Amino acid sequence: MSCEEVRELLPEYAEPGPRPAGPVEIHIASCARCSAELAVYREMLGGLAAYREVEEVPPPGFLERTLTVVPQATRAQRALDELRTVPGRVAASVKRRPAATAITGAALGAAALGLIAWRVARRSAQVPDLVSS
Amino acid sequence: MVGPELIERCRHGDRAAFEELVGLTHRRVCSLAYRLVKDRSDAEDVAQEAYLRMFRGLAGFREEAAFETWMYRIVTNCAMSHLRRRGRFGDLLRDEEGPDQAIPDRAQDLAVNRDELSRGLAALPEGQRIALLLKDVYGLSVREIAQELGIEEGAVKVRVHRARRKLKELLEEGERRVGEL
Repeated sequence: MSCEEVRELLPEYAEPGPRPAGPVEIHIASCARCSAELAVYREMLGGLAAYREVEEVPPPGFLERTLTVVPQATRAQRALDELRTVPGRVAASVKRRPAATAITGAALGAAALGLIAWRVARRSAQVPDLVSS
Repeated sequence: MVGPELIERCRHGDRAAFEELVGLTHRRVCSLAYRLVKDRSDAEDVAQEAYLRMFRGLAGFREEAAFETWMYRIVTNCAMSHLRRRGRFGDLLRDEEGPDQAIPDRAQDLAVNRDELSRGLAALPEGQRIALLLKDVYGLSVREIAQELGIEEGAVKVRVHRARRKLKELLEEGERRVGEL
């Protein structure tokens, strides 16, 4: 492999981890310039990894604001989520116990019809009295 | 270091655990948010949004994945949403160099990072800078970065490759300038 070809691969080759012995390895072992170039990349990657430890200073009062704002927003969001699930829960209950829901519905329907029939019967029973009086 | 015990307590709504977790992580969360959006006020919004999502997502957090990686992904996700809302997401989709690629002197607004590395990072095109930051500084995988940025894994690899080469050049250039002084 030529120096040019090897240098094109060095940015990835510099990553930490085991490398299988191959043409790149063989070239680097025998080329001082490519070897030095690889060392520069490795040093740079080491510096980048360490850069994570360099912390920006958070805005003044950030911690206090976050400790107030986040629980409030979380509670509000949970309440909203809870509200949103109500229709779903009703539908799920119908799905889970369709027979019980059908029987209850039929019973309620029958009761309503009975009530209407009773009221109609009562009204028609009262009419002759009114006419006769 | 955030341990599983602390996470478990947070899951159960323990207020003290929440405070402990934020106390332990807020500097890192703010740092990443700031490095992604490059604005202190926006970074605060991003960081708070990230904590909100973290606490809502803790129930589904799989502990086999490192908490920090999970946290960094959430911050990145919030930052990308923020940049989209601000109409700045387009900058990330381009990885070529813009017209103004001179190394800025950020000594005025960066109290901590005045070294060549931070200046070199700042001089990279946005798409390359973000990919390099997430890969080499915060240790996200190519796949994770692709998912968070909404681009192909191949595009992430290309950006990281270009960013490393460019950053190396910038660092060498900086060293040469120091040597000339």
